[in-house]
Amino acid sequence: MDDSNLLSDFTLFLKEKKQEGIKIIAYLSHDNIPEELIDSAGFFPLKLIFGGNDELMDASHDYLPPSMCAFAQSCIGLFSIKPNYYKFLELVDYIIVSNHCVSDICVSEIISKYFNIPRLNFYVPYTMNENSLKYYKLELQDFRNQLESIIGRKISDEDIHNSILKFNNFKKKLLEINELEMSGSEKLKLIHKSMLFGPDFLNDLESLIQQFKDNPQPVSNTSKDVLLTGCSIFINDNMIDLIEEGGGNIVFFDTWIGNHYYSQVVENNLIDVKKDPLDLLVLRFKNNIYGDHSVPDFLEQKVSFILKYSENHAKNRGRKLGVINHIIKFCDHISLMSSFLKDTLQEKGVQVLNLERDYSRANRGQLSTRIEAYLEMMK
Amino acid sequence: MSLIADEIVTFSSVLRIAYNLLNGRNYLKRKKFREKEKLVAITLPFSDLAFAAGTVPVLPIRMHKFEISQYLNYLGSASSIFGWKAVSNFLSFIKNLGINEISKIIDDIIESVIVTINEKFNAMYDVGIEKGISSDFCYGLKSLAGMYFTKGQNVDACLNVTIRCSAYNKYLESLKSIHEGPKQIWIDIPPRNLGNTVELLTDNISNALNEFEKLTGNNITDNDLRAHFKIGNQVKRSYKNIVYDISASDFYPCNPATFSEIMALLSITFQDYNSNAVRYRDNIVSLEKEMRERIRKGIGMDVSKMPRIFVTPMFGGWEPKTHEILYELGGRALYADWELLKFLEEIPTGSHTNPSEEYARFLMRATETGIGCDNDKLTDSYLRMATDLNADGIIFFQLFGCHSISNCYAMLREKVRRELEIPITAITFNKIGDNVEQVKTRLGAFMEMFKF
Repeated sequence: MDDSNLLSDFTLFLKEKKQEGIKIIAYLSHDNIPEELIDSAGFFPLKLIFGGNDELMDASHDYLPPSMCAFAQSCIGLFSIKPNYYKFLELVDYIIVSNHCVSDICVSEIISKYFNIPRLNFYVPYTMNENSLKYYKLELQDFRNQLESIIGRKISDEDIHNSILKFNNFKKKLLEINELEMSGSEKLKLIHKSMLFGPDFLNDLESLIQQFKDNPQPVSNTSKDVLLTGCSIFINDNMIDLIEEGGGNIVFFDTWIGNHYYSQVVENNLIDVKKDPLDLLVLRFKNNIYGDHSVPDFLEQKVSFILKYSENHAKNRGRKLGVINHIIKFCDHISLMSSFLKDTLQEKGVQVLNLERDYSRANRGQLSTRIEAYLEMMK
Repeated sequence: MSLIADEIVTFSSVLRIAYNLLNGRNYLKRKKFREKEKLVAITLPFSDLAFAAGTVPVLPIRMHKFEISQYLNYLGSASSIFGWKAVSNFLSFIKNLGINEISKIIDDIIESVIVTINEKFNAMYDVGIEKGISSDFCYGLKSLAGMYFTKGQNVDACLNVTIRCSAYNKYLESLKSIHEGPKQIWIDIPPRNLGNTVELLTDNISNALNEFEKLTGNNITDNDLRAHFKIGNQVKRSYKNIVYDISASDFYPCNPATFSEIMALLSITFQDYNSNAVRYRDNIVSLEKEMRERIRKGIGMDVSKMPRIFVTPMFGGWEPKTHEILYELGGRALYADWELLKFLEEIPTGSHTNPSEEYARFLMRATETGIGCDNDKLTDSYLRMATDLNADGIIFFQLFGCHSISNCYAMLREKVRRELEIPITAITFNKIGDNVEQVKTRLGAFMEMFKF
């Protein structure tokens, strides 16, 4: 998928932001970063959701051993090389060091240290219980303090409420993508652009979704329906092309770039300006049961979600659903659970392809063969 | 190896620790089936609560049957009648008579202990891969998975303590998928110490203790916790004394390769105290005494001219030939991972203290200033340790597939060169015995730097 136009547009967009005096806070995007807080402080939250290639991965080896998550390697490569379409990375003012996984910590820290970008800290507890929620709130408060010390003023509760509402509405609109009749690649383009530009894209998103609703673009009946789980497909990654060329169509993105992001909404009736807005962010964290960061129930939740989705899909569409578990090489979370996920789902009759890969070009042929063989088997 | 074995046999405490490590299976079977005690799987030095709860913590590899040298078995049996000291004295006596066959037997005993442990770790690594753990993960994780796949069904519970390594946390989550039976008891250590974090962690510890109470049916009192912490503190004190007073000194109670071998043995056994805290305390306290006694008598070796090489990390897997090679090259290997990670800090036990809260502080310190929430903190720990040991150089083991610690090498190298101005090199490691020749070459080149 060639995303050069998207990246060009985004560069212009970000330059405009900078001209307006808005500072950019970048982070290795994950589901527990409170982008609403960043927004409420008047910053632009830049999600680092860009795929890699050989050159980017190689460029990271001055800082890291090669046995490291390919996405993490590529993030360092982007800051090290700053290829043409990524010149906007020069506009980044701060980077968040967080612990979605240990590679997240390591890479953000390297970007901060070696590319002279001041860091902000935001850490997340590992389990999900009452004390974790309390700890998460401490981190939110600390993060708010860090932002306030940069801007030199307090962030009002009202501003945070407004940002929560803004992102909430934006995500609700994005949720409609799940039901659109269109190819997976078109959906992904829409998701990528939305997540990159954020709520500023809402008006365009609304009209695009309306267009697709008015003019559905059904995918050929010969293609196989696929649910994508595991690691996200990032911008400028050809994975979705390989799946579609192999005869598959992703009907649901059960990944962070996809449903995990935009399903994290708070009911509007809970957004009460008289209450502490940080509690709403805590609630969102609590409801995030499908995220891969937390232990010990990730696998159970994931299995139960996929089974339910698969059953509904068969019932509503009368079609079989395949599951591709996308594993970026050396990803701690997805890789370690992959064999358990596959075994458990296959026992229940859902066919799973554990598709492990990095961003090297040399893999393309092998990946195509595996995808084609899997889709063939789905007949 | 001969020289190493020759030295080691005069430390009866080392024989005891080695025997208890390898003979764990029989001990644990007795505990489980005859004494009806609960076995709790642990990894890393997180055994305290399990001991305080009256359960039997075990690093799962110890449930395996080891090929113990039959002579060590005899020694074990003899010791139960005559006591270990008498057996050790007897061995020294017959060895001093110069009876070659006997010397050979003693050498075999010690060599077999080291070889046996390493072979079993490697076997567990293979099991981990066979059972579906990607070969991309580090040696430690694959070995842990192998241990649990093969022996996890025998434990009653797993004590799972989260750390910053995401692969490790996911491994802990996977335990309930591997074996459904054992109860999973969790302690989440928050990544940073903000606000009332210690209070939250204290509550997490209390919740874990409640789970232990459900497991055993017994109440766990503050005094139970204090009583175990006191034992643990004695273990840590002796361990620390050995690290600082002896390993950093200029006169060793034995040759440096032997010394490193003992330190490696302590590193493995410190995780579960060989499932018996009192016995382990007694052994490590007498080990320290034996070492001091030898030094006092002038028995041992002047190592003042041998560069101190801090070899780390080794707890997740390292090449055990390292210390022998370094010794042959004129250096000495210092191992001190647990001290570096702040696991040798004592826990206050005064009657006015809240032991759960003190344990929370202990865990928080290890998290904050030991392994650290980021590589900046972690590399500071390496610098602190190298300084405290007065190290002349650092060998850093970069484990293939380790994303938590190995990644800090570039930052560490820079800091060491800037702040300590001592040589440092990295050795990549995948599996024990895989690249010994390469290790030799790298260490040879490294040690050349100390010849001028």
